[in-house]
Amino acid sequence: MLCKVTRTFKAGAQNFFRNGWLSIATVGVIVIALFIVNVQIAIMFANNLLLNAVEDRVNISVYVNTDVQEDEVMKLRHEIEQYPEVENIEYISRKQALADFKERSKNNETILKSIEEVGSNPLGAVLNVKAHNPDQYETIASKIDQSSFSEKVSGVNYLKYRDIIDNLNKEIKANQKGAIILAVTLSFIAILITFNSIRTTIYSHRQEIEIMKLIGASNNYIRLPFIWEGVFYGITAAMISVPLTYLYLQFIGNEEVTNSILPLSNARFIKIFLTEYFMKNLVLVVLFQCTFGVFLGVFSSIITIRKHLKA
Amino acid sequence: MIIFENISKVYPGNFPALENVNLKIHEGEFVSIVGHSGAGKSTLLKMLYAEEQPTSGDVYFSRKNISEFKARELPYHRRNIGTVFQDCKLLPKKTLTENVAFAMEVSEKKTSEIEEAVPQILDITGLGKKFDAYPNEVSGGEQQKAALARALVNRPKVLVADEPTGNLDPISTWDIVQLLLKINEFGTTVILATHDKPIVDKISKRVVVMDKGRVIRDEAHGRYCI
Repeated sequence: MLCKVTRTFKAGAQNFFRNGWLSIATVGVIVIALFIVNVQIAIMFANNLLLNAVEDRVNISVYVNTDVQEDEVMKLRHEIEQYPEVENIEYISRKQALADFKERSKNNETILKSIEEVGSNPLGAVLNVKAHNPDQYETIASKIDQSSFSEKVSGVNYLKYRDIIDNLNKEIKANQKGAIILAVTLSFIAILITFNSIRTTIYSHRQEIEIMKLIGASNNYIRLPFIWEGVFYGITAAMISVPLTYLYLQFIGNEEVTNSILPLSNARFIKIFLTEYFMKNLVLVVLFQCTFGVFLGVFSSIITIRKHLKA
Repeated sequence: MIIFENISKVYPGNFPALENVNLKIHEGEFVSIVGHSGAGKSTLLKMLYAEEQPTSGDVYFSRKNISEFKARELPYHRRNIGTVFQDCKLLPKKTLTENVAFAMEVSEKKTSEIEEAVPQILDITGLGKKFDAYPNEVSGGEQQKAALARALVNRPKVLVADEPTGNLDPISTWDIVQLLLKINEFGTTVILATHDKPIVDKISKRVVVMDKGRVIRDEAHGRYCI
């Protein structure tokens, strides 16, 4: 058995190196297949990062009337915290709100003067409410609106930003859906092209298969060199597609390029998260590439050779 | 040793190739099967190494009915029969040595055995110096010698040669025929299908004449005569 494996491995390696251009072409096709899958995964990953980042920044601010005392605000906070949709609440006191406002308006003397003229703090406390997911903001806003403490609230800014949040949400989700459909379609096409390429390679060996049969080679002995060849195709292709993907990530990390290709993405995100993630998980990426490449090579070989052995 | 019993073969499209052929070949015989192209020589030989199945009738090899072999048993059966063809059928991406060794590798012979037998057989067939060449780098005669070496390296009981000299010049043809005769002297049964009249006449051994899928003459020391 070991002898058979070694001999067929040697035969597979010989075929791989002696086939020259045919091997290069087949490896090239698998590299393209793997690269297409990688690019799709990178785009989906970038979209995910972006979605998370946007979701992290989205919240609704509940402005409390200026005459409500701090302990009452705390009760209010506690009540809103009980909503199942709420993830957390950030409390900004009246003092803090005024300080923040002054900081934001430090270049606008008119505003600063007006505040001084008013004398007292014109701003109420603010509760920044964060939901588990962006779909829930509408529910939270309407719950606050219908609650017993609604008269203590001067405004909920969600209503103001509602359209912006909704649109962003829709756009990101549509983008995500599109990316998945594109990834599946392109991967499928890549698999078909690889399959066809290996089919052509094996077809060019059909006379050899016939000769092997005639001199008494068992089906396994005929099959194994082609399977090894498939393994070589897959591994070689993976070794090329990994650095190629890294270069691609570096390329789209360039802000000018990214903003023209991926309007929803952000070059900084890609550069920091995607490239870093790629390098941190290099072993995993190489392993995935090899597995997928070898799967493509071997699967196509097995299916094709089966047809020739039957004939 | 080999018995063709009431063999008929009809190819799809109702093309008859063999009609009720009966033939017995004994161990150690040298049989020339002659006839025009399309007489049924190749079809008959293909049945021996199970590349074709008869439409009716049975082929026996060492008392075993070939049509009863299961698919996984066929490789083992084929290892008992050395085959040589007009187009040599060498593996183009392997050197002559590798081609010969390959026949032993598929028979799962030991590496030490292969290393000993391959140079020997290449020497016997007169290919000693060309062992590292690829098939397309040597002449047709040398390719055929390599094919013969491959057919013989496993010491088969029977050697089937289907028009082995069809593409060769007279000198190479005679080289091959002498090799076939030598092999037969060592005890291997040789079945030679050919339509080369001078060769058959010179061999002067058993001649089976076929025409339109039938055996029309079978003589122990025959001549090419249709």
